[in-house]
Amino acid sequence: MLFYQESDRVQAIEPILTMKYDLGDGQILSGGVVVDSISGATPFGAVPSSSPQTFLRPISTVTNGLSTGSSTTQTMTSASGNSTVITVPAPPGSPVATTVVSSTTVGANKFPLDQGFSDTPVAGNLGFTQPITDRLKLALGATYSDEHDFRAISGNVLLMQDFNSHNTTLSAGVNYESDRSSPIGGVPTPLTVMNAEIKGAARSRDEVNALFGVTQVMNRRWLTALNYSFGKSTGYETDPYKIISVVDSITGVPINQLYENRPGSRQTNSIYWENKVHLTADVVDIRVRYFWDDWNVRSITLEGKYRVQFDGWYLEPQARWYKQDGANFFHFFLTATDPTPEFASADTRLANFDATTVGLKLGLKLDRLSELNLRVGYYWQQGNNHPAGAVGQLQQQDLFPDLQAVSVIVGYSFAF
Amino acid sequence: MKSNSRRWWPSVTKRRCDWGLAVRVLGATLSLLTVLATTGCATTHPKLNLGAKPWQHDLMAQTAMQLEAYPIEAGMDDHIYLSKEASSGGRGFAGGGCGCN
Repeated sequence: MLFYQESDRVQAIEPILTMKYDLGDGQILSGGVVVDSISGATPFGAVPSSSPQTFLRPISTVTNGLSTGSSTTQTMTSASGNSTVITVPAPPGSPVATTVVSSTTVGANKFPLDQGFSDTPVAGNLGFTQPITDRLKLALGATYSDEHDFRAISGNVLLMQDFNSHNTTLSAGVNYESDRSSPIGGVPTPLTVMNAEIKGAARSRDEVNALFGVTQVMNRRWLTALNYSFGKSTGYETDPYKIISVVDSITGVPINQLYENRPGSRQTNSIYWENKVHLTADVVDIRVRYFWDDWNVRSITLEGKYRVQFDGWYLEPQARWYKQDGANFFHFFLTATDPTPEFASADTRLANFDATTVGLKLGLKLDRLSELNLRVGYYWQQGNNHPAGAVGQLQQQDLFPDLQAVSVIVGYSFAF
Repeated sequence: MKSNSRRWWPSVTKRRCDWGLAVRVLGATLSLLTVLATTGCATTHPKLNLGAKPWQHDLMAQTAMQLEAYPIEAGMDDHIYLSKEASSGGRGFAGGGCGCN
């Protein structure tokens, strides 16, 4: 069970149940179910302003009766407390188009967050491992994930061949994933001005990943693994909910907001190296990852865990450091005097930032076959709060507020 | 016509990665592990100092020494980082179905 809370933003509760069944002769069947409950606030992508800003999102359209040609506006309080029903004017005699719109007003000098966000993704996975020979294994896997505005299906095949008296394992695999994005209010036309009208149909995205790895028992106490992975995705890579502000080039005051646009394909690469070293009783785990892609994202991740083994229980301090160079189409904002670029996103996940995680895990061996563990983690992301190119009022604004999150994982495993 | 030399984007100062530091940390890690390897126990390939005899796989069989020792915890971490950062994968396949707000 995962409990996750960001300061002033998203919170999530995520129970996970997994089972692994040994069928004998090396055959292993596994499966799992995840039910997520996410709610809270998520950034629009817009910059703060010295005066209040209102953001409108379409939710749905209802047609009912025939129009008289007049329009009405009625305010409703939704679960999130900020929705308004707007009756869109229609020619007399034609059906009335009633659009339900979510309206969020952000105060002066406040970072724009969409407060009404909530989701309940459900996901499942299945895996099967089949030995082909004493040294060769085949693993098959499939996942399915569904939430009200996003669906993903994936399948993978992995071959693992042992050499050198099972001291060396070479593995190669491929994963295919198909995503479908059907956002509330429809998919907007990229780089058009944000408005309350219902948008276009759902879009999809396909991704293929290949993984090549070598695992080596270096000696009795040291295990090392090196992976290279390559990914290629095509289709709808854009976040339909994210916008980017267009500001006055002198005053920095937002003039309007455009829907973001990302390239229609992405190629990713990563090199991952993990080491586990068994000391007298304790275990050290050191991981390094270098990631790069054709959006010019570069990142390095260093992660370390030190398991201090006691009699029947263990304590494991964990630390992770992540540094990212952002995508070449990331901009905090655009200015009105300059031409609109082909691709632009103000999603800070594509910006330059550092992130640090520290955690502590406690594990209790309840008996020979069961374990109870608890892990508390703290994540802190820091970007460029005051970029040098900020104009006018933006110089006084925090354009990349620090993100802090606390996660608590409680796990129980048993064999029967 | 005089070309407009102004950039269309604001002159945001990009903080580049300190790759020198990253390479040094990587080098230090590699050195540490090399020392650990060369001071290890008897091996099946004494010249290369790689591997362990079949009867020396006792420690490798322990849960703590498995690469996927705690898959649920690893999966939750992947999910959190995928929703906050632009990188994914490495340990396993990238992606994993996430609308990711």
